[in-house]
Amino acid sequence: MAIQLQQVSYTYADRSLWKQTALHDIDLSIPQGSIVGIAGATGSGKSTLLQLFNGILKPSAGTVSVLDVTLRAGEKSPRLLPLRRRVGLVFQFPEQQMFEETVEKDLCFGPLNFGMSPEDAKERARKAMLDMGLDLDLLERNPFKLSGGQMRKAAIASVLAMDPDIIVLDEPTATLDPISRTELISLLERLCREQGRTVVIVTHRMDELLPVADNWVVLKEGRTAFQGNASDLAKDPAILERCGLTVPQSLRYWRAVADRLGLEDEVPRLTAESLAELIASLRTEGKGLDGAGGKRDDHE
Amino acid sequence: MTGLAERGMTMNERLLLGRSIETGSWVHKLDARSKITGMLLYVVVILLSRSWMAMALLAVFSVVVMASTRIPLKYFLKAAKPLRYLMLFIFIVQVVSVKEGAVWLSIGSWDLYEDGLRLGAFSVIRMFFLITFSALLTFTTTPGKLNQGLEGILSPFKRFGLSPDRITLMIDISLRFIPTILDESQIIMKAQASRGADLKELPLKEKGRMLVSLLVPVIASAFRRAQDLVYSMEARGFRMDAPRSRYHRPIWGGADTVFILMFVVMGVAVAWL
Repeated sequence: MAIQLQQVSYTYADRSLWKQTALHDIDLSIPQGSIVGIAGATGSGKSTLLQLFNGILKPSAGTVSVLDVTLRAGEKSPRLLPLRRRVGLVFQFPEQQMFEETVEKDLCFGPLNFGMSPEDAKERARKAMLDMGLDLDLLERNPFKLSGGQMRKAAIASVLAMDPDIIVLDEPTATLDPISRTELISLLERLCREQGRTVVIVTHRMDELLPVADNWVVLKEGRTAFQGNASDLAKDPAILERCGLTVPQSLRYWRAVADRLGLEDEVPRLTAESLAELIASLRTEGKGLDGAGGKRDDHE
Repeated sequence: MTGLAERGMTMNERLLLGRSIETGSWVHKLDARSKITGMLLYVVVILLSRSWMAMALLAVFSVVVMASTRIPLKYFLKAAKPLRYLMLFIFIVQVVSVKEGAVWLSIGSWDLYEDGLRLGAFSVIRMFFLITFSALLTFTTTPGKLNQGLEGILSPFKRFGLSPDRITLMIDISLRFIPTILDESQIIMKAQASRGADLKELPLKEKGRMLVSLLVPVIASAFRRAQDLVYSMEARGFRMDAPRSRYHRPIWGGADTVFILMFVVMGVAVAWL
């Protein structure tokens, strides 16, 4: 397991009048090399959860194990620098956290902090820029002169430049344009499938992540309300509504189609293309549309 | 302190002053104007207290009023904590410099005078109650109401060309920005820590560099926020010096008059003692 949480609680401002428990008894495991989506209404504890993954926050109760590091509540934590190199955490609005005078320096900040030589850091910076689909000419620019979307991508690149094994992102696609959004999601998918990295994404747009995510965690008021894959979610999308979320379109379409055609045991098709393909294949087979198709092995 | 920081204490919590604690007590419900006036009168009461009896009465009065807010007294104590060394310093200066009254103790060539000890103790008691009691104002009044009260108090000065609206607008906006900017700096610090620059784990030399990495984005975002605020205020029709209606209208009730009278009675009492 890349990340494992056992009965973890987190309380802000413990022992004061403003004490507030953000997470209650969270049990969670995220396997290595998987893409996990985290959803939940605002204030459900998503951002707090992410900050436990690289030791920015320490659990008030329970145990957090990330890779080979274990953080227990009430115990002195080990040195966190090595953990933070391996867990890249991208906060919300990362573009607002850039500070160097050139994009290149900003990208090298992380790698240099983790003891890399300047040449290697620059090499990493270039690679991260290319990964994010950014032009290498931008390296010499002042980050404040980039467009909003470019800044966001450069900021994400500055975390990728650290070459982390686990990439954790807090709403990376918010405020991005639709093309950049799909590009970013497919980049993260490549980093996971081709290089075996673990990717954890908090998102308010479940639709864009549903086709690629292996697992989902849905939070409600600081507790896990759902943990499982998209097929489980497709069986009972109403759970999302109970958590204060709207059911994503892809799940609603799939539910409607599956209910009408009796496709209970099918793998859910969560993109427009795959769903169209399935419906088309049912038509050519000449059955299913009458509602008596019943169980099917697969569509060819 | 480090222990607290490790448990995830945010910067906001360290700024105890200026944070209201809602308990719904009678003091909370008072008009902000009467509370501000009461505080000013309290300063007079403190200055008029010149005997041990007066000090004792002042202490009883202060503690009773503080307790009646139903806010735990330890929060008032915490408000005075940052100034404990200053109080100690004032005490020592008084004890060393005042050379009147009976000599109580002689160590070599140095004498401890009764008056020095007494004045030192009085200064510390005055300062202690001044800070803890004035914390009552911010504990029981939200910044918005406080500001509105201030505007009411300042309104007589309009005749002399002072613009209370401008002053309170400035205060209002600054107060509004403090938690925002603190929260933001904290997020940036966390982001930099995630990128291997943890303030707690860095050598001293690197901490300076870290400060720069914090200041640039914080200042950039403060400017961005200020600009956004200007636009959004203008978009909603804000004009400086234009007459505005109020959402909360302050109402001066019987309790407010009683509150003020309490201080007047206290002032007369301590002046007598």
